Amino acid sequence: MNENNQFHISFFKPTTEQARKNRNIILVLVSIWAIGVFGFHFLLRAIEKPTPEPVLIAFNEVWENVKAEDANKAEMQIFVRSALQVTGKVFIKPEHRVALDNGITWATFQLADSVQKVALADALQAFEKSLSQVEVLSDKDYISKRNKLTALAMVPLELKSSDLLSKFIALELRSKMTNEFTVENKKLVEQAMPFYTIHNQSVLTDTQFLGFPFHYFYSAVFLLILFIGICWFYSYKTDKMNKRMQISE
Amino acid sequence: MKKIIIPFILLALPTLAQAAVGATQLEGGFKIGPSIILIAILCLFVLVGIVFRAKDTNDFYAAGRSISRVGSGMAIASNWMSAASFLGMAALMYGSGYHGLAYVVGWTGGYVLLLVLMAGQIRKYGKYTAADFIGDRYYSQSLRTVGAIIAILISISYCVGQFVGIGLMFKWILGLDYQWAVVVGGSVVLAYTLISGMLGVTKNMQIQYVIIIISFLIPLFILTFKFDYFWVLPQIGYGAVVTDIVQGVPINDISGMMNSMGHEYAIVPSPEYAMPWDPATGKTFFQWMAITFSLMIGTAGLPHVLQRFYVVPKISDARWSVVWGLFFICLLYWSAPVYSALGKILSAHPEVGKLAKDAIVVYTAQLGEVHPLIVGLLAAGGVSAAFSTVSGLLVAGASAFSHDLYVKVINPKASPRLQLTMARAGTVLMAIIVIMIAILELGLIGELVAVAFSLAGCTIFPLFLLGIWWSGSNRQGAKAGLMVGGLVSIISITYFIAGKQGVVLPFDEFIGYYLQAWYFAWIGAPLSILTNIVVSKFTSNTPLEIRKFLVEKVHS
Repeated sequence: MNENNQFHISFFKPTTEQARKNRNIILVLVSIWAIGVFGFHFLLRAIEKPTPEPVLIAFNEVWENVKAEDANKAEMQIFVRSALQVTGKVFIKPEHRVALDNGITWATFQLADSVQKVALADALQAFEKSLSQVEVLSDKDYISKRNKLTALAMVPLELKSSDLLSKFIALELRSKMTNEFTVENKKLVEQAMPFYTIHNQSVLTDTQFLGFPFHYFYSAVFLLILFIGICWFYSYKTDKMNKRMQISE
Repeated sequence: MKKIIIPFILLALPTLAQAAVGATQLEGGFKIGPSIILIAILCLFVLVGIVFRAKDTNDFYAAGRSISRVGSGMAIASNWMSAASFLGMAALMYGSGYHGLAYVVGWTGGYVLLLVLMAGQIRKYGKYTAADFIGDRYYSQSLRTVGAIIAILISISYCVGQFVGIGLMFKWILGLDYQWAVVVGGSVVLAYTLISGMLGVTKNMQIQYVIIIISFLIPLFILTFKFDYFWVLPQIGYGAVVTDIVQGVPINDISGMMNSMGHEYAIVPSPEYAMPWDPATGKTFFQWMAITFSLMIGTAGLPHVLQRFYVVPKISDARWSVVWGLFFICLLYWSAPVYSALGKILSAHPEVGKLAKDAIVVYTAQLGEVHPLIVGLLAAGGVSAAFSTVSGLLVAGASAFSHDLYVKVINPKASPRLQLTMARAGTVLMAIIVIMIAILELGLIGELVAVAFSLAGCTIFPLFLLGIWWSGSNRQGAKAGLMVGGLVSIISITYFIAGKQGVVLPFDEFIGYYLQAWYFAWIGAPLSILTNIVVSKFTSNTPLEIRKFLVEKVHS
């Protein structure tokens, strides 16, 4: 063999015993790494099923009547509760919030009797004025107006003060939306409800492990342990191999 | 010494306690307590920088190869734990839930590739910079030049995210406008890097690591204790927080726990926070995979990360420093999701309003009513994280400018003194460019940093991977591969900048989704590698001396 062909390095064609062993370790570890990260997520994708939250099921049962503006008191209350659940969620687009606020405001005023309506309208206007002027949220005037509006809105909706939804009802009412639930906003609400309340779930997301949803624990905690383990093993194995083969680096 | 320190502490404590009151607002003006902590930490950094400053170019570039395994691991971790890790990662999870974990996995999993495919071999190759390696391995002065320019671009891109973080924290602490905060913070980090060089930087990185991790962990223990979770190990205890977000926390389930704004510790059921690629987050399965892959290969191609392996004394130390470095990094990466999860519940009430995601770590501590001085320490930790990375990046960029461009291409006879002057001039120039870009606020910290990863993944990573593991990869193959990787990068970044300027280019939606600036390496890197292999196969062999060197020195 001439010198020109003698010196050649290829990961997949090792020419020495050490290189062969090193290649094998690397292949095994990179396979574990790839399956651990990407394999798991392909699996997560493969077995997931779109799963609705209970709030969507409740919403769907009353929506047709609410849309046709033919819902009874209980149906309207269920609608407002469902819409409030979505406005309180962690991710929500501004246009969807506006549409849901329209539905919440309209339904709240529909449920109120004539005396309550007047009181609600006055309290809402006073609150909005205060909100536009307030500099710090601990402002006493702002808090008292918010609390007054909340107390008035809780009556027709039959919300209790221990109910989380009662804590932000005041922020979802808008004085310009009291009389009409527009067709445009009805369409947006129809899109928004399933958009925010159907999730990709499976046995891997529903199983609890150390308090976590399992898949979350796997990615946020376990994978990092796996990476350290792989690195430790490779360094340990390489040192050991070099020692055994009397290779001095 | 005690005589000076004790009265100083006694005098300072009431001032700090009084000043703490000013730090309770989520935003607000100048905060004395956090400012004092920040100034004290910066003084410490500069002092260490002066004591261990670079005496010649060897010191400036590679710290005299005098750092231990654990020390080097700490320096790797500190160098790595940037504003993107400290502030940006929690921001990404706060803003997009499970999708943010792609960044956690991507930024740690890349170290596996770095270790098994690169670390030992890079140390054996014995070069100072990434461009040095590329120029020598591919026996091409033009590739060395391009490699140096890419290293500078990557450093600039990476620095932009850090300067955004520095700006946000200086804004929070000093109550300045964001733009002025970037200028002031940028000037301080520049002065510090110029004084210390890399030897100071390496020593400083070990101190910075300790400050970063302590400042990050203390509020977590307090918050998990306060809100009745398993506080002994918050990194596990927050599993219950995630489950609480998914299932909701009703008001009657908690006993008087409130955030600093007086809202109950409660949230409606929000499975979208934890469920994978939830439609409500606007993120998809493809994006999760593409980001993870791009960040992983980007990690193994970042010049300032690769450069750290030149500073360890032995090849075995290069490997073990990765193990230690990754462990130290993971301490922070296990913890960052805790801030986003607690921040989600604490800011769940619509009255809290929209918070700047990149400052959510600090806001979470504030909303959880952690003592303002500890919040100040946390903010100072964020600045330290950005500082430690920026100084490493500026040194890497300056090395590329002075060593690879000026000395190797423009003026090979430059004296060591002139080389050092050029390195410092390069540092100043880079800092000015970065400040100008950071002021534009082009994206979240984590996203801006991810651009640098994709750029490195498309350009440097394929050259190192094939350069080390396949002697058949030659100059022509490297050039062709670099052109393809560069082209993908240019297309993606052009569309990104055009989009930010409101310009709509053809196939805007397609490119914006499949070649987004945060993850274009998912396709750019494989294409670059493939092109390199194909062109190398059909062109002349790699010279004998290069192959001999690979066999005898790098793989022996």
